[in-house]
Amino acid sequence: MALSPLVLPGDPIPPGALPTSSNPSIPLKLGPGLRHIPPDRIVPVVAGELCIDHKKNAVWVETNGGRYIPTAGDLILATVHHSTSDSFSCSISPHTPFASLPHLAFAGVTRKTRPQLNPGSLVYARIALANKHMDPEIECVNPATGKSDGMGELKGGMLFDVSLGMSRRLMMPNPSAQGSMVILDEIAEKVPFEMAVGRNGRVWVDAEGVAKTLVVGRAIQETDEGNLGVDEQRKVAKRLLRDL
Amino acid sequence: MPREPELSLNERSFVLQALQENIRIDGRSFDAFRGLELNFGDEYGVADVKLGKTRVIARISAEVTRPFPDRLFDGIFTITTELSPIASPAFEVGRQTDQEVILSRILEKAIRRSSALDTESLCIIAGQKCWNIRADVHLLDYDGGLTDASCIAVIAALQHFRRPDVSVEGENVTIHAMEERVPVPLSLLHHPICVTFSFFLGGGIVLVDATLQEEMLRNGELTIALNRHGEICQIAKLGGVAVEALTFLNCTNIALVKAQEISRFISKKLEEDLKEKNPSRLLVELSAENER
Repeated sequence: MALSPLVLPGDPIPPGALPTSSNPSIPLKLGPGLRHIPPDRIVPVVAGELCIDHKKNAVWVETNGGRYIPTAGDLILATVHHSTSDSFSCSISPHTPFASLPHLAFAGVTRKTRPQLNPGSLVYARIALANKHMDPEIECVNPATGKSDGMGELKGGMLFDVSLGMSRRLMMPNPSAQGSMVILDEIAEKVPFEMAVGRNGRVWVDAEGVAKTLVVGRAIQETDEGNLGVDEQRKVAKRLLRDL
Repeated sequence: MPREPELSLNERSFVLQALQENIRIDGRSFDAFRGLELNFGDEYGVADVKLGKTRVIARISAEVTRPFPDRLFDGIFTITTELSPIASPAFEVGRQTDQEVILSRILEKAIRRSSALDTESLCIIAGQKCWNIRADVHLLDYDGGLTDASCIAVIAALQHFRRPDVSVEGENVTIHAMEERVPVPLSLLHHPICVTFSFFLGGGIVLVDATLQEEMLRNGELTIALNRHGEICQIAKLGGVAVEALTFLNCTNIALVKAQEISRFISKKLEEDLKEKNPSRLLVELSAENER
């Protein structure tokens, strides 16, 4: 993986650093942290790593910090706060307004078989709608297929808070290769576990027993807090598994 | 619309299950404090305490005022606390929550009413002039253990603080600039430390220095303020689950050990700071203060 350049807010981005797409019909896409100042200036608004996807002709700034802002399509872990006549009000983070989760936005649910979720239940959901000045709307079903796609209520297990950058790293298709996040592979060899990563900086982990669940959670949190490299992650994994 | 973070049912049952299996979520033993860090500012009387992820800054300031008419021979000492939204989304500006009131009451009882600071030494001219010592406590990050961290911060800051020297000739009072005369430390009679215990599962499990997550689940709490000689200044048990007398006694014993450890830690840090700020020990040589 080539080292991506670091940018600071206001830095000029040289035209050479922008992605070069083989297909000129795809327009250039600006992701989070970049702003277009017409006619042709592109300026970063946060400090971070400039990331480029040549295939999608996209460019964005990867930064670790800040609060979660709901964005349509993100998978998140939300807590049910209360239920109204036709939806659940769910808390995504203490800073965001309650998101509404319609009773009918679950897989295989009809008006007669509504899900019963108590306050405090944990759901894995996708943000369906997120507009400025409006409460976000979330769903636990893929509207195209009507299947759950792994979303829904999560039972048992434990929730761990991580930084937003870490949750993005964990959600990469291949975290160990793309995000140099090898600690989970190391632990998975000895401890089987299940996990769900939410974009809102929450990770749900379930393994057999309290101690094993905690090993996984601590491994992620320690890697996140210490910003550990590959070798350090292996050391932490070894230590945690030895203490088990 | 910020609000208090809430625990999901999964977290609640997991944390309680872990406690039943003698495991804490952060891997500490039941009677262990989190990592304590203490730094002093460039000025006198600024202490920055980090207890795990909780961070508190205490600042001491002094000014000359008129003493209270009913206490002509005493100086004034006040402690103010401020919980601002910078620390947690649960705190709002301008609205005093119960938590803030309880915190300032406990600090007040532990430090001011136990006469840790000798207010008589703050008197300059009886009935006319005295020092007003003010301790401001600012919470910067909140992950439980607020009382303990604030108490450590205030006590450390009080020990670190130096007030300008004063000379009195008849009715004339001269306050000497810090450069002119060696500033004077406050006269502290003892150094109380708060240790908070949290009770879980009907009082069967006792934790020291609970994190925010554990605080949200506890059935009761007990704050003991005592100094390193084992003199208890206050015991605050504000409601919650009933606790057996034996557990109570056990808590005081643990609190004594913790208070001694923390007092030692503070004096070590103070010594380091003194060495760093005046390596030649010039100020110590120049000072005319007698050790109490």
